[in-house]
Amino acid sequence: MHGIRFLAATAVAVSAAFFIATTHAQQPSPAPLRALISDGALPGIDRGLRETPTPGTALVAQSLGDRIRQYAQAYLPDSLIVKFRPGTSPAALRAMLALVDGTTTTRLPNADFDIVTTQPGIDPEAAALRLASQPDVEYAQARYVVHPRFVPNDPLYAQQWNFPAIEMERAWDINRGAASSIIVAVIDTGVAYRGGTIRFSTTNSLAQQVFPGRTSVDILFAPAPELGGASRFVSPHDFIYNDDTPLDLVGHGTHVTGTIGQLTNNGVGVAGMAFNVSIMPVKVIGDLWDFVFALATGTDDTVAQGVRYAVDNGAKVLNMSIGRLGPPSPVIQSAVTYAVSHGAFVAIAAGNEFMSGNPVERPADLGPQIEGVMTVGAIGRNRQRAPYSNTGPQVEIVAPGGDQVADGQTGGILQQTFDDDFVLPPIGPPRFDVFVYAYEQGTSMATAHVTGMAALLMQQGITDPAAIEAAIKRFATDLGPAGRDDQYGNGLINVRAALRGMGLVR
Amino acid sequence: MTLRLASLAQGKPLRLAPSAVKGLAQSSRFALALGIVVVLVALDGTNAAAQEIGFRGFGDIGGTRFAAAHSFDAVLGTHSGLVFGGGVDAVLPSGVFVGVRASRFQKNGTRVFVLNDQVFDLGIATTVRVIPIQVTGGYRFKVGRRHVVPYLAGGVGWFRYSERSDFADASENVEDTFTGYHVLGGAELRMRRNVGIAGEAEWSIVPDALGNDLSGVSSAFDESDLGGITFRVKIVLGR
Repeated sequence: MHGIRFLAATAVAVSAAFFIATTHAQQPSPAPLRALISDGALPGIDRGLRETPTPGTALVAQSLGDRIRQYAQAYLPDSLIVKFRPGTSPAALRAMLALVDGTTTTRLPNADFDIVTTQPGIDPEAAALRLASQPDVEYAQARYVVHPRFVPNDPLYAQQWNFPAIEMERAWDINRGAASSIIVAVIDTGVAYRGGTIRFSTTNSLAQQVFPGRTSVDILFAPAPELGGASRFVSPHDFIYNDDTPLDLVGHGTHVTGTIGQLTNNGVGVAGMAFNVSIMPVKVIGDLWDFVFALATGTDDTVAQGVRYAVDNGAKVLNMSIGRLGPPSPVIQSAVTYAVSHGAFVAIAAGNEFMSGNPVERPADLGPQIEGVMTVGAIGRNRQRAPYSNTGPQVEIVAPGGDQVADGQTGGILQQTFDDDFVLPPIGPPRFDVFVYAYEQGTSMATAHVTGMAALLMQQGITDPAAIEAAIKRFATDLGPAGRDDQYGNGLINVRAALRGMGLVR
Repeated sequence: MTLRLASLAQGKPLRLAPSAVKGLAQSSRFALALGIVVVLVALDGTNAAAQEIGFRGFGDIGGTRFAAAHSFDAVLGTHSGLVFGGGVDAVLPSGVFVGVRASRFQKNGTRVFVLNDQVFDLGIATTVRVIPIQVTGGYRFKVGRRHVVPYLAGGVGWFRYSERSDFADASENVEDTFTGYHVLGGAELRMRRNVGIAGEAEWSIVPDALGNDLSGVSSAFDESDLGGITFRVKIVLGR
């Protein structure tokens, strides 16, 4: 008997200590969360448009967020939701409560279910499972905490099927658009990043055919309204005109920049992935009007210059939605290797030539050769490879690029760019100050998704280009035949899964 | 039975021939050890049934070092930490005892990405909790000064593993139970008739608990054992 008394006393003491340590303390009845003291008030104060946030508010939001996260949990402890079948007897109710160490049931307003409170330490999920198997219970579940899903308020966001396809909404819950400290270089046709009027010479033979008798034309430029103000753009450079004004004269670079970082949740237009990053416009390709005015086009050397310039000026992610046919390019390979060795991740388009014999594009061939460089193919809304998207061993990953054959015009990727009515006017010089939201398709668009993802990953903490590539591959959603294949590479990017990374077990 | 216990008391612990042990898997060896303990207790109990059984309760605090060092280091920043718990023992007059104990380890860390042993902190808060419930059988040696009692034991445990992180769906959090095995040894100092203090070291193995999911660092590090080494101090109440 003596031993048993000791056993009982000790067991009670140990149990109490254990439960105190492992469970949440039971709270006393809470005071009302709010009360209306007076319904009289002064009129609201209108301070007009606020173009830049007050610095203090960001600090407060960060501090509050940190505090709130301490209370984050999947479901509330010590209670669960139960719907008992009508007519359940009090005796049956008591028996069921005893089954899960339940103490009370509470019927909430506007509810046809009860909240069952349990003893501290009872696992609500296990209790719910136990109760759900009872004949008098219609359903039982834990009180799962519901989180906001960041869905941008940009009115055309609903047309951007490409972002839900790669789990962007839940990714934005984790990382809200990266930060301005991450510089993304768009190695492309330039970007509509500033305004002005530029006088172009038209004395060359080609320009004379277009503007006969004129020695120059004045062309209007404006920054794309949905790319943000001048402070967002860093170290712009133009390797076609060899100056620091890499203006876009076709709209390609402006469109891919939109996917990477279009202003988001501003109540206007469309969204972009890493909408807080800094953008470095680096023009390495002359297209259309560049050729008319300067007989200039992009070559391997301008591309290589652009890559090295971007890295030397702080870019950490490079978007190369560009390519050509022909033999490999040692000069670009050397530049891209230089970029990775300086901590920059590079995304390269796989090419749009599948239906033209599927030749290997350059520099798309570099992806598998260099860790930290990825070659990107395109899928459409139905998650099938887009018919134009090149295939082969160089394809490492796929992202939404659009398939307007299968899905019509809206099967493309929607971002802001120039209005073609003004880029290609029936008469007179073009204008680059009129914008529309346009659907475009191609592995260029797919590549911009991988670039945006890399920027988010880098800001989240994966600072090594090879690790970014490994994370993108590891968390991709496998498409096509199981495992890596030549159509989809390692699969479709899953931004949320990669940002969430790895736990100890899962 | 008596002979076996006597031989143990003379410092000749039970041993299997090395050649017999070599071929056994690690977990099989533990199972064998546990079986021996259970048989000892059962045999002893038949002789001691009529005698008084001592019941003791204990609370303990200690430190544990997990065998999956790389995985715990990556997520929690360390592979060791405090554990505390308690339990009850039943001690037969012969010195054989059986007990049950529960303990708890919990630590906060962050989710990561791992490539080639390089760890990238993603800053997403995660909490890892391990609650082993262990059944132990062993023998208390009555040697030397009687108020210092060395003991050796082994047994089986059920390790409740929980891992919860921010931004996780319920299905992404981990709640699982794994079976493990342990051996331990220690010495108890009797301070009063019903109060003692003990120091104890335990080695446990929980095979195949980790490393089964590609999105876990334990998979990247190829670590599967949730066990480790624990040192603890116990306050014992009872005889």
